[in-house]
Parts: sequence; C-alpha cells; structure tokens
Amino acid sequence: MKTPRFMAVLVAMVALAIAGCGSDDSDEGAAPDAEKATQAKASGNVTWCIGKDTTGAFGTVIDNFNKANPNANVKLLELPEDAGEQRRLQVQRLQAKSTECDLLGTDVIWTAEYAAQGWLLDVSDFISQSGDKFIPSTVDTTEFEGKNWAVPFNSNAGFIYYRTDQVDQAPDNWEDLYKEAEENDGVVYQGFRYEGLTVNFLELVYSAGGSVLSEDGKEATADSQEVKDALTFMADGVKNGAAPKAVTTYKEEESRRAFESGNATFMRNWPYAYALGKDSKIADNFDIATFPGFAGNEGAGVLGGYNLAISAYSKNPEGSLAFAEFATDPEQQKLMATEASLPPTVTETYDDPAVKKAMPFAEELRSAIEQAQPRPVSPVYPQISEAIFNNVYAALQGEMSSDEAASKMNEEIQKALETF
Amino acid sequence: MEAATAKLGRGRKKRGKTYGSEERRLAALLLTPAMAVIALVAAYPIGYAIWLSLTEYSVRVPGKWRFAGFDNYTEAFGSSEFWDAVKNTFVFTGISVTLELAIGLGMAIAMHEAFKGRGLLRTVVLVPWAVLTVVSAITWRTLFEPNLGLAPQILEAIGIGGDIVWLGQEGYAMAVMILADVWKTAPFMALLLLAGLQVIPDDVYDAAKVDGATTWQRFRRITIPLLMPAILVALIFRTLDALRIFDLPYVLTGGSNGTTTLSLIAHQELTANRLIGYGSALSVLTFIIVMAVSFIYIRTVGGNIRSLAEEG
Repeated sequence: MKTPRFMAVLVAMVALAIAGCGSDDSDEGAAPDAEKATQAKASGNVTWCIGKDTTGAFGTVIDNFNKANPNANVKLLELPEDAGEQRRLQVQRLQAKSTECDLLGTDVIWTAEYAAQGWLLDVSDFISQSGDKFIPSTVDTTEFEGKNWAVPFNSNAGFIYYRTDQVDQAPDNWEDLYKEAEENDGVVYQGFRYEGLTVNFLELVYSAGGSVLSEDGKEATADSQEVKDALTFMADGVKNGAAPKAVTTYKEEESRRAFESGNATFMRNWPYAYALGKDSKIADNFDIATFPGFAGNEGAGVLGGYNLAISAYSKNPEGSLAFAEFATDPEQQKLMATEASLPPTVTETYDDPAVKKAMPFAEELRSAIEQAQPRPVSPVYPQISEAIFNNVYAALQGEMSSDEAASKMNEEIQKALETF
Repeated sequence: MEAATAKLGRGRKKRGKTYGSEERRLAALLLTPAMAVIALVAAYPIGYAIWLSLTEYSVRVPGKWRFAGFDNYTEAFGSSEFWDAVKNTFVFTGISVTLELAIGLGMAIAMHEAFKGRGLLRTVVLVPWAVLTVVSAITWRTLFEPNLGLAPQILEAIGIGGDIVWLGQEGYAMAVMILADVWKTAPFMALLLLAGLQVIPDDVYDAAKVDGATTWQRFRRITIPLLMPAILVALIFRTLDALRIFDLPYVLTGGSNGTTTLSLIAHQELTANRLIGYGSALSVLTFIIVMAVSFIYIRTVGGNIRSLAEEG
C-alpha cells in the first residue's frame, strides 16, 4: 500500500514540475489547455521513425515525454543519416502498410508525395488550434491540397558565410557578392548534381521573383526570364572564376572544408557550419549574414528541415499527435536547439537566452526562415528536382546555354507533372 | 582445366547419356528441391520484375495502376539518358576489365614465382578486394577532392593537371572511376589467374628450356595458351560484374559527367522517382544486356575452352 501511494505522489510532483517549467516560458493563455489535451491523449506505445539521433537530443525529448506521460511509451527507431535512405526505408514500410512506424520524421519536401499516396493522417485540426506558435513559413511546408499533413518539427535556411579579413561586410546583392568573390578567393556553394543544387538554384530564382511551378502545382513555369537570369548568373560565375570549377563536385561538407581551409571568401551553407567553423583555423575571421538580394529584389531563401507526420497505418494516432505536440513545445524546442543545433520551428524559442547563447545567429536565423519559401509542392517532387538539378548542372558545366537549359527544365518538369 | 570446364556446365552431357533411365529419374528427383529453391529465389523475382515492367503505377493516386504494354520500353529506347547509360556502362566495362586483366596477369605471374614471404604477399594483395566497394569509393572520392585531396596535390606537384577537377569533368571522372575499380578488382583477377598458373606443370617449361625457347617464347607459347581457360573464366566474372556497376558512380559522381550507368538510372527511377514500371523496364533491359553478353561469351569463348581443354 505504501509504495503505490508514494509513486503516485512522485508522479504528481514530476508532472507539476514539468507543467511549471512549461508555463514559465510559454504563452499564459494557451498553455494550460494544450497541456491538458496532451495529458488526456497520451497513452499507449508510439514508435518514432526519424533520421539518426546523432546528438542524443531526440532521446532526451522522448525521456521527458515518457516521464510526463506514465501511460505512454515512445520508442525511437533510428533511420540512416542520409535523407534519401530515410525516405527509401519509410516508403518501403508505407507501401507495405507496415504498422511499425507511428510517427515519421519527414523532410519538408516529402509532404506532398506522402499525402497524395494516402500515407499520412490529416492534422489540420491541430494546426488550426495551435499553429500560431510556429513560424508561418514552416507551416506552409506541411500543406498539400489545402490541408495540413504534418507538424513542423525543425526548420532550416541557408546563410552567407564571409571572411571578415577579406571583405568589410556581406554584400547587399548577389551581383556584388560574385564581383567581390572574383576579386578575392571566390564563392563556394553546393554545386554537385543533387538535391542541394536545386536548393542553391531556387534561392536565386526566388530572389529574382521567379518560380519553376505554378501556384496550383499544375503548370511548369521554368521557361521564364527569372530562371534564365539565375542560370546565366551561376554559369558565368563558374566561367569567370567567381566560383571555382570545383563547386560542381561540392556538397555541404566539401564546401565547408574548402571554406574552413581558407580557400574561399564566401560560402553558401546551412547554419550547422557555424559552430564547426568556430573550431577551425578561420574561427576569428568569418561571420554570417542572411541572403543578399538578386536582380533588384530582396533576397529569399529555401526552407529545409523536418516535419512530424503521423502514418496512416499507425495504431496509435492520438499518442503520436500528443508526442508531436510535446516535441514542439517551446521547452523541448529549446532543448533541441541548444543540444543538437536544430533550428526551432516555434517563434518564441528564438528569444530564449539559452538559445541565443547556443546560436549567436538566432535572430538572423529566424528572419532567414521567415523570408524563406518552400520548394515546389507536388507529389512528383523528386522528378521535378531531378529536372532542375540536371539542367542547372549542365549549364554550370557549359554543356548547355541558359536558354536551352531553361526550356529543357521546363519541358521535363511538365513531363513529370503528367506522370501517370 | 577440368574445373573450368565443369563450371561452364559443358562436357557433362555426353556422359549423362550412359546413365540408365532409372538413374535419370532418381537424378531428377534429387534435383527437384534445388530447382524449387532456384525457382523461388530467382525465377519468381525475375518474372515479377518483367510483369512490373509492363505496368504503370500511379505516383499521385493511391493504388491506381494500369497495364502499359511495352510503353515503358518505348520510353527507355527514346530517352537519351538510357543510351548514355548504355554507352558509359560499356566504356567502363571494356576499359576496366582490359586493364584488370593485364595488371592481374602481371600480379599473378609475380606471385607465382617462389620467393620468401610469398604467402604473406598473396594475402596482402587481396586487401583492396576485401574492402567494401562503398568504403573504397568514399576513400577515392576524398582522395580526389579538389585542392584538399591527396591525389590532386601529388599530381600538381609533379606537374600534371593543375586545374583539372577530377570528379567534375567529363572523361576525368570516368578515369577515376576506372582507376578505383581496377585498384579494387585487379587482385581478384590475379587470384583467379594464379590458380590457373599453378596447374601448369613445370615439365613443360623444362622441356621448352631444353629446346632453347626464350622467356618470351615460353610465356607466349606455353603460359598464355594453357592459362586461357582461367583467363576466360576470370573475364566472364569481371565483365558481368562491371556491366552491373552501381556503387562506384553512386558515391563518386552521382552519375554526373558521363559516368551514369544502367544500374544507376534504374535505381534512380525505382527509388527516388518511384516509377515502378519504368524502373523495372530499365532493370529488365540491364538484365537482358548482361544475359546477352554472357551468352556471347559462353558461345564463342566457352567453345574455345572446350577445344583448348581437349587439346591440353
């Protein structure tokens, strides 16, 4: 008799303590309701299938949740680090209607494809209730055909890294950046023929005010002046030596190594390179900035990051949603920002002193994410991206003129849209 | 030589005829379980892939599919990507297998000589072959990283290709891919050829020496003809492997700069684009090409082995 009562008191105390922590930092009005909802729903087993937990932060979030919800048990199923492999393993399970994964960690570009196949549960109700806490652009990545299919989990947006010992400040526009790059040691970015090149290219197209796909996702719009301008700009950069020819073999890590070894004046990369750069030999000689403008317009980035989506074959959708809600509360978002450098999707987390300390660029990051746009939303996104990076690559290599590359890109995107 | 003949499944038939019908029935009975297993693990997947290649599954509507006839094949034959992949695959196979044969033969002859530490050398030589292809591909990619990699630095120091981006330029990318493959599989070739060398009796060489044959003549007239069956077996193994090359271009170049191969495009369509019908058609075409090449080998070369074996 004694032990159970003791346990009950302990559980109550832990729950109180956690509730207390939560409401300290969060919006007074909304917090109690959300917490009540979480605790009412959270029970049963939930398997969370997401990329490798390299820092242990996911494990900590799970421990916190399991402690706060004694009737629930969340388990982590780690997928490989490579995004393509994660998708392959998830698709394999979903095609087989496997009930193994309840909650999926999905790259923001997979939403449309998974939703179109009927693999995800609609979470529009949750988003309309508590979607206000997220940075609006991150919620956009969960949308397909007017509904929300996932909860924004962590976000990402690129930065310009520049050498403070070579240039005084980051240029205001890409044109000047390339000019200064040419005069100094050049600019490096992700020019390998893969998804990263699509992102680097779209950043320019979006900044120029262009697009590759119509708003309704039914028409290719790549045969446009903005696309041709972006192609010409990138191809000329390689031709004139503003960017080294070697960028055509660079992914994120190669770019970072080239920049850190002092071989480049500018670099386009994700925020992860900041902390690593501060450990390198150029630690005191670089800084970061949000994207410059292009073709007379404001700069715009492309959104990265992961969402949490509930598998349509999950046996415990309520428990999965409760965990997704918990993982996106400001406290857990802070934990992942400070321990795993994962950029939060929750607006207020960026104001937290601990987050600002761990990410000195928190302010810039939030505005970069706010101004960033999602990649084309379409169930055939993989083919669209392939059409983009193949033709951009050909233009970078001088195998095709900008006009040819733009029209071929348009043709291939249109063909992808007509896929059965 | 006997071993080589048996491997190719020839020469047995004749003797088979002398068995009584009773024994043949028993043989059939004993073979049934093995055949059933082969049907299950080989015939069924191949048949299923062929069936899938004649269909199309929707990537936008769940569960929707249609019978597409030969549409997927027509699309493949009409795509420049497919023909590029065919060309690259054959260029890669032709050059890498030829180099592997030449280097492997050299290594085999060197290892065949009696010297101290021969056992150790034979083991050490196999190390590249024991390394996983993906691991060695990542190593090569790092070695050839522009500016920072070891290979461009060394080459620049001796005055070669200062501004070549090895993995980023057509031709050079294929050269690195071939180099990585030769490094890895020449030892395997050497091992197969060494086995062949060891069955050539020393008496033949002694007799030739007595008759005044030079080293070159002994190599040309004795070693090569007697080694031919082993060479052909090794060539078949390597050619079929090289035609299916996937991991090297996947890691080294992602198929860019003229290194895309048949297996790579089939993988791209099947897993990235989820075009199950089209991807299966590409896989079936790869299968047909590999089968055709093996058939040609066994027809032309298999006959040679038999006649060589009979002469020997």
